[in-house]
Amino acid sequence: MKPQQLTRIWPQHETVLLLFIIAEVTYFSLFGRRFCTVDNFTNIVRHSLEIGLLALVMTPIILTAGIDLSVGSTLGLCAVLFGKLWRDAGLDPWLAQICTIGIGGLCGACNALLIAQMKLPPLIVTLATFSLFRGLAEAITQGVDAFTDFPESFLFLGSGQLGQLPIQAWILSAAAIGVWLLVHRTTFGRCFRAIGFSPEGALYAGLPVRRQLALVYVLAGLVAGLASLTYTARFGTAKADAGTGYELFAITAVVLGGTRIFGGVGSVHGTLLGVATLAILNNGLSRLPNLMNIASELSGIVTGVLLLLALTASALPHWLKANQK
Amino acid sequence: MNLSQSIPGQIPLLQLSAVTKSFGSVSALKGVSFDLQPGEIHALIGGNGAGKSTLIKIVAGAHSPDSGSIKIHGHRVTQLTPSAARNLGIACIYQQPSLFPDLTVAENIALRLEKIRLFARVHWTNRRLKAVQLLKLIGADISPDTEVRDLSMPQQQLVEIACALGSKARIILMDEPTASLTHKEQERLFALVRTLRNDGVGIIYISHRLEEIFAIADRVTVLRDGESTGTTPVTETNPSALIKRMVGREVSTLFPPAESQLGPMVLSLRGLGCTAGGVKNITLDLRAGEIVGLTGLVGAGRTELARVLFGITPADTGEISLNGQWVVITSPQDAIALGIAYLPEDRRRQGVILEMPLSHNITLASHQRLFPRNWLRHTTEQTLAEKFIEDLAVKTSGAVALGNSLSGGNQQKVSLARWLATKPKLLILDEPTQGIDIGAKNEIHKIIRRLAKEGLAVLMISSDLPEVLGMSDRIAVLRGGTLAAILPRQCTAHQVMSASLGLKEEGVGA
Repeated sequence: MKPQQLTRIWPQHETVLLLFIIAEVTYFSLFGRRFCTVDNFTNIVRHSLEIGLLALVMTPIILTAGIDLSVGSTLGLCAVLFGKLWRDAGLDPWLAQICTIGIGGLCGACNALLIAQMKLPPLIVTLATFSLFRGLAEAITQGVDAFTDFPESFLFLGSGQLGQLPIQAWILSAAAIGVWLLVHRTTFGRCFRAIGFSPEGALYAGLPVRRQLALVYVLAGLVAGLASLTYTARFGTAKADAGTGYELFAITAVVLGGTRIFGGVGSVHGTLLGVATLAILNNGLSRLPNLMNIASELSGIVTGVLLLLALTASALPHWLKANQK
Repeated sequence: MNLSQSIPGQIPLLQLSAVTKSFGSVSALKGVSFDLQPGEIHALIGGNGAGKSTLIKIVAGAHSPDSGSIKIHGHRVTQLTPSAARNLGIACIYQQPSLFPDLTVAENIALRLEKIRLFARVHWTNRRLKAVQLLKLIGADISPDTEVRDLSMPQQQLVEIACALGSKARIILMDEPTASLTHKEQERLFALVRTLRNDGVGIIYISHRLEEIFAIADRVTVLRDGESTGTTPVTETNPSALIKRMVGREVSTLFPPAESQLGPMVLSLRGLGCTAGGVKNITLDLRAGEIVGLTGLVGAGRTELARVLFGITPADTGEISLNGQWVVITSPQDAIALGIAYLPEDRRRQGVILEMPLSHNITLASHQRLFPRNWLRHTTEQTLAEKFIEDLAVKTSGAVALGNSLSGGNQQKVSLARWLATKPKLLILDEPTQGIDIGAKNEIHKIIRRLAKEGLAVLMISSDLPEVLGMSDRIAVLRGGTLAAILPRQCTAHQVMSASLGLKEEGVGA
């Protein structure tokens, strides 16, 4: 087959991912124990909200050819500070929640300042704040303090139900629609891609490159703040280790969803499919009767292989074309 | 003309015969012959894009010629690589010294001279002694233990020369070695160059300063559009004759005729300067319907001036008036809002985003105007893109095609469309036809003329002399970051070149 033909019939990344999800669900329904139940799907949604939120806001960042390794740590710091504000400062829970989201925004602004204004590389800046924010969270709690006994009104954010659906489904849908519109339907999204493809080209087109870069990192901080609230409400405790490793899950989901790590190319629906693929995989593996004990190890292996396959598949048409010449 | 015939029996150090080289569709050298005798300083001059850099890169082994032969010390060389060139005794001293800033002078010299042997001991003492010896030879007062980053530009140049000496180079290429030197340093360099010549070294000396060539060179070769216009002993020529050879025949009449009616004043600059950009004291007026050509040698500050006007490196002195109002421009967004458009020089990196569809590229600078509430409107975008594709006759499969599917000329049209979509009052074009085939070039010239006729003020930066002369209503010549002359439409290529080179001549002056 000629490469041109291959490129033409080679399906969209999102389509492949959707087919894979269908295959996953079918397989686990057939071989998993109590996989295909309403309860279990509710469970999957409940557990994937925070990673979903972080992956959503990671998408515009990677579109600008950036990266944010600090979102998980921001989540942890925000969770601890929320506990502090509510229990030790005696703030009204609602006010404490708003302040927490604001603190997330400040963490994002800290990254934004260094990346957009000082023009430092995002990988290193957020590697530093990744360490810094987690360290602060541990220092504040001295590694042992945990905040518990939150009021019912707050815990609703973790275990509540609105209509037939868990609260998480509503929050995730709202965030997904918001980020989808931002990336696909506004001039901001267009700017993110332009910056990702060519920062110099974007500058010479008169785009406000610095402002746009600042925007994506601040947005990530704000949403990490929000995720810290749902996380705390879901577990009922706020500890310094909240959201450890979530930044990597989020990046995995985004890249699996077809967003190019070098920027420019990608979609928010791709990211959502990436999140779904990983969430279903994790849940399904733990329900296979004879593999239950090694589910988490297995899920690591499968995720790694999947990511490599996805990257290879998307690079294959270009590779064939290049080698043809 | 050919000195190798006038000195029978002597083998030239270097002999190039009918060398050609092209990059894509652009031919940089079209059969150039050149020779260098032992004990000779051979000057190489020519306007921007004449092929000087390509020629020296071929001699240095950085480029291989498409055809033609190279003989070094009388032997034909086929595979000339940079390391082979060095082993054959060729050394290059570029305008920007290429030393490692974090290493000391002695280490830098050693890197050039010592052979690399795995696991060999480093003889620090020998290394240092060698450096001291070489530096002393050229009379440079530089400690071998200084880190290169602490040296001034002329000092770095001296280290480069020391390297060339140490490698026992018989052929030394010097590309504008005096560009950053003071008069005194220049004198010392000249003395050194003369000593080298007396030792039988051949030196190819590239410079824009004609007076230097008459002061130091033995022969001079003038390149023009990739061709050699011949080699002459300097005693048999004069600056005016050289300039004539650099600019060539009078401009052909390929350009669309000027028929603009001048409208009101659009742009006035009063003593404009920007320290970071290296532009100072520019005073210039530009009317609606007028095309002002902005020219000068590479490094004269043309692009830098455009970047000041577009807000990339904002001005720190002087004033800008736009449509009769004093304005401050601190960012490209300011500039666009004020109706200034800038078509950048590097089409592929700055002009278009190659991986984006044409429609996205065309609307990229007009988001504010087209989508005031930040919501993209697909039909508006598509209609506008299609209109421009038709208007400017962009050859493409459609508005959804990616930028990198187009030829250079069509990419340039897309870049132009992007700026016309902003509805500008002032259009700054930076080398609008560089590297574009002749057909598309002609089309772009017609478009520029049409835009001026429609009342746009155009500031056209160009190195292409015929283009500047053929398109401009007035010509502003920059030299060393400042305005050297403003010439009327009827001026000659000779006058423009003289002003660019800083030669005083009758009929030149603001």
